[in-house]
This record gives sequence, structure tokens and C-alpha cells, in this order.
Amino acid sequence: MPTDEELNTYIRTRYALVGVDISVLPVSDESAPMDQERLLANGRSILRQDAAAADFEIDPQFHLPVAHPAPFTAWTEE
Amino acid sequence: MSGVAGKAEDQAPPQDLSVSRRWFVNRMAWVSSAAAAGTLLSPRPAVSSPRGRGVGEEAFATTVRAQAQEDLTEATLSESMTMLRSGTVRPTDFVNAHVDRIERFDRFYQAFATRPSREDLLAQAERIPAGGVDAPLRGICLAPKDNFYTADLLTEGGSLVYEGFQPDYDGTAVALMRAAGGLVVGKAQMGNLAGGRARRYGTTIPTTRNAWAPNDERLSPAGSSSGTGAAVAARMAVAGIGTQTGGSVIGPGNAEGLTCIKPTFGRISLHGVIPLSYTRDHVGPMARDALDAAILLQVLAQPDAKDPRTLGLPPAPDYVLAATPFPGGSPAVRWPTRIGIWPGYLSGENERVVELRRRLIARLERTSSIDVVGEVTLPDQWDELTSAPLGGSHGDPTAFFIDELRRDVRNFADRLPRFLNGMLQSADTYVKVQQARNLLLHRMLTQLFNQCDVVLTTGTGPFDGTGLPAMCMPIGFDTDATTGREVPRGATLAAPPFGEERLFAVVAAYQAVTDFHTVRPADPE
Repeated sequence: MPTDEELNTYIRTRYALVGVDISVLPVSDESAPMDQERLLANGRSILRQDAAAADFEIDPQFHLPVAHPAPFTAWTEE
Repeated sequence: MSGVAGKAEDQAPPQDLSVSRRWFVNRMAWVSSAAAAGTLLSPRPAVSSPRGRGVGEEAFATTVRAQAQEDLTEATLSESMTMLRSGTVRPTDFVNAHVDRIERFDRFYQAFATRPSREDLLAQAERIPAGGVDAPLRGICLAPKDNFYTADLLTEGGSLVYEGFQPDYDGTAVALMRAAGGLVVGKAQMGNLAGGRARRYGTTIPTTRNAWAPNDERLSPAGSSSGTGAAVAARMAVAGIGTQTGGSVIGPGNAEGLTCIKPTFGRISLHGVIPLSYTRDHVGPMARDALDAAILLQVLAQPDAKDPRTLGLPPAPDYVLAATPFPGGSPAVRWPTRIGIWPGYLSGENERVVELRRRLIARLERTSSIDVVGEVTLPDQWDELTSAPLGGSHGDPTAFFIDELRRDVRNFADRLPRFLNGMLQSADTYVKVQQARNLLLHRMLTQLFNQCDVVLTTGTGPFDGTGLPAMCMPIGFDTDATTGREVPRGATLAAPPFGEERLFAVVAAYQAVTDFHTVRPADPE
């Protein structure tokens, strides 16, 4: 499994790719509203949860999100 | 059951029985897919969404308590309407009473982020035509949360991200309140971008105080609709509107001893509200009792062409009638109603709270037409479907705020992870989250609300994610362990889609024979 350091690199790269700069946050400062350490810890948690979601099995025929269900008739007078 | 039950069974059925639950499941699936496709907010004409009914005659209080006549800030919304219609007081009298109180006490409560001047409010009050049921909120001082757009007041969302933001129009909910004669006495402080308790922007320093301990910041007003809750409880506003994505109306409502409702998803327009989630945001009235909350919902429950989520719904029923004690005298509920109890509701570390809950249930059991069916069994895979990651909504706020995130992440302060997390959730997981949400809704309708019509619950999370209505009301007092102050404790009730009438009816029956909702917190010293 990926290490914390590997996930940190992934997270920093993902943010940088979109143009989000987290280096302006203090590295570690409990008195600050947010710091890089807490942000990365939260990000690692999300990534590991995301991986766990892959194990969730659902019937692919169950209520597929459909593009044009009945409520659209409110717009089309059908 | 007493003889009243027969009359209850003669009533026209409540809306939760007349609307197809399958239709609601399909509708929420549409919301999920439209959110993912980014088409949910596309403006389209509403051609078959009839306007909701107006506020009926039942909204006007038949008697006004002496203390409300002596101190206009004590009057409920219903009592205020009656006094204004009788001509014994004018809208400007209400304005002056509330502004006097705000100027005297808001330095303690810190409930407001920004306010109009007294002169502005008085001028607005003078311009409101007498309208009776056509202008039910005439002269009523209201406190919307600071994430509702207002054309004349800053809208800052409790955050540096929106600092100095001045919209050029009123959000639909504010516009509806004003069209009904209501006055915005101030914009209420809120948690940073609708999360947590209200704080100084960009910091973790609390601002808004709980009205039950205005000198002690340790007693939280809860969030994120902190200011609206405190303002209404402290009698600085008659009522208000908050928003709820994850407990943000019901939480402050319970913390302040208020009666609040988070209606079914789509019932109140979200146009002109700072967004957090396409699929979970709700507007909710925050008030002193069931009738006041119903009056406000009646005004706000209108289709809005600017928010497709409000279109195609069944017309709003008569909430005011549902919240009117029935049939008077002994407590009764308008419709035969089964009430279920959440697993673990009568256990927990706080014995006093458990005792209050026992008394609540005992009172409900003595109420005509109510059948307390006991502890419910939760649907299959409950824990998996309601907890992270399947029970979450990571991607929504990220998509809204990407430009601001690029500008400076520091502006998001303690809420930054919530807004950045969406970049770390894969597309396949997002699809599974939406599928799981629809599966959860399906099971709540078929495996939970097959056991009961209303459930007493310990939290609102599953009801927020699935768009089902929830309501809170005070059920007694308890000593807060940290501050030693006497504080209100509340109960949270939830119902299937369009079950608002049921909730109002149950709460109104309870409040007809209890007075916890009338107890006023002491003024700051």
C-alpha cells in the first residue's frame, strides 16, 4: 500500500496541477486555522476512503441515474 | 385512542400519503445525475408548477399573551400578525422594539453580521401596504442567515472568501419574505461557508453566543445557522431562515430551544443562496413554535423558475392548518400517525436527556391519533450507506469554488479540507456515492417508513443526504456540564417525502400541552 509520503506527493501534485497553491499555509502550526500537516492528513484519509469505496458493490441495473425522468415534463408540458 | 381519533381519520390525507414515493426516488436520481452533468441550475420555464397556497386565516393568533402586548419582541409571528391586523400596533412599532433590543444586547449575542439602519427599516415599514393574508409578514422583523443574497446588504457567508460581497438582487427566499411584507432586520452570522459555529472570518475565534449563555462562549450556539438561531431565541428577530446541508438548521434550533423545519428537498428555492452542495442544500424556517414555522414555510414554498429543483413538485399543502392544534382542548394529531423511535434513542451518557426523551414519548403516547410503535429496525447496509465515503458529498463544494481556491487557500481557513477534498475523489467513486444515495433513499422508504410515519431520531445526516424533511422542538431543560447553565434540550423528528404536515401536526399537538417553546432566555447582564 502507498505510504503517507507517497500520498502526500500525490496530493500536492494534484493540487498543483489545478493551480492550487497550499505552500502559503504554515507547514505545522496548531494555532493557525489550517496548516499543511492537517490538510495533508485529511487528504490521505479521503484517498484511502476513496479506495475503500471501490469495494462497494451495487446492482448496475439499480435506478440508473437517467437523463430525462418524469420531472422534466414540468418544463416541456408533456 | 380517545374519541378524537375518529375525527382525525375523517381528514383529507396528508401529502406524504398522496405523493408517489417511487416518483420521489426517481426525482432524486435525476437530481444526482443533473448535478454530475452540471445541468441542474440551467434556467428553464416553469409551465406546470402551480404556486403554493397563501397563508390562511388560521395563522392569526386568536389571543395575544399579555407579555407579548407589553413587550413586542416577545410576540410570536402569529401574535404579531394579529396585533398588526387589529391596528393596535404599527409595523414601525415592531421595528423600533426590535432595533432597541438589538442595539442594547447584540454586543453580547453577536448574532448579526450586518444590519440596515433604523431609519432604513422604518422607511421600509412605512411603505408596506396593509394586506392581511396577502401580506402575512407585514412589519415582521426577520433574520436570514448571511448566505442569502440581499440587494441592500452585504452577503459574506461568514467567510473571507465572500468578504465585501454585495449582490445586486435578493435571493428568492428573501424576495418572497419581503413580498409578503417582511423586513430583514439584519443578516445573521454563520459558520464559515456554512460549516461549524460562527467565528471571526478566517479564524477559529467564536463570535455568536448561545442565547442561553450570552456571557459564556463555551456554550455553543451550534452551526452553521448560529446567528439566526441566537437572534430568534434572544427576541432580536421574530423568526428567520437558515440553510442545512448537514444539520445546520436543526442543530442550532435544538441548541437554542427553537422550533425549526428542514423541508423536503426542493420545497424552497436555493436561488440566491451561497451554495455548498447541489444535492443536499436546503432552506429551513427557524421560529419559536410550530405555527410560526408553518407560516414561514407557507410563504416560502413556491416553485421558482430560477431553481429547477423546485419545479414539478406537488403544490404546497396547507402547512398552517396542519400546525393548528386539532381539534382544540385535549392534545390530538390531525391524522392517525405512527411514531417510531431510533435505535439507541433512550440510551446514552446524559441521563437527564434520556429522561426528557422518555417524558416526550409518554406525552406522545397520551396524544390522540398517535401510535408510538417502538424502536425501528434500520434498513439493510445502514452503516455502509450512511458513513464515509458513500455517505459523503466531497465533490460538490470543490466544483463551486475552484477559482477562489486558486486565488488563496488561506481564505477558507479551517474549512479548507472540505473544499479541496473533491479533487481527491475519483469519478467512479462519485458515481457510486450517487448510486448509494439513491439506494439509501429507496431503503428508507421501503424499510424504515414502512414501520412508521414519523421517526424520533438522534441526528439528521441520513435525512439531509436523501432530501427528507426533519423538524426540531424543545422538550425540556438540562444543566450544561461545562457551563453549569440551564439550557434547552430538543427532539428531532423526521418523515418521508412531503411529510411536513405530519411533522407540524405532531409538534403542534405536543406544544398545545407543553410550554417549553415559550420559555425565554434571561437577558445578558
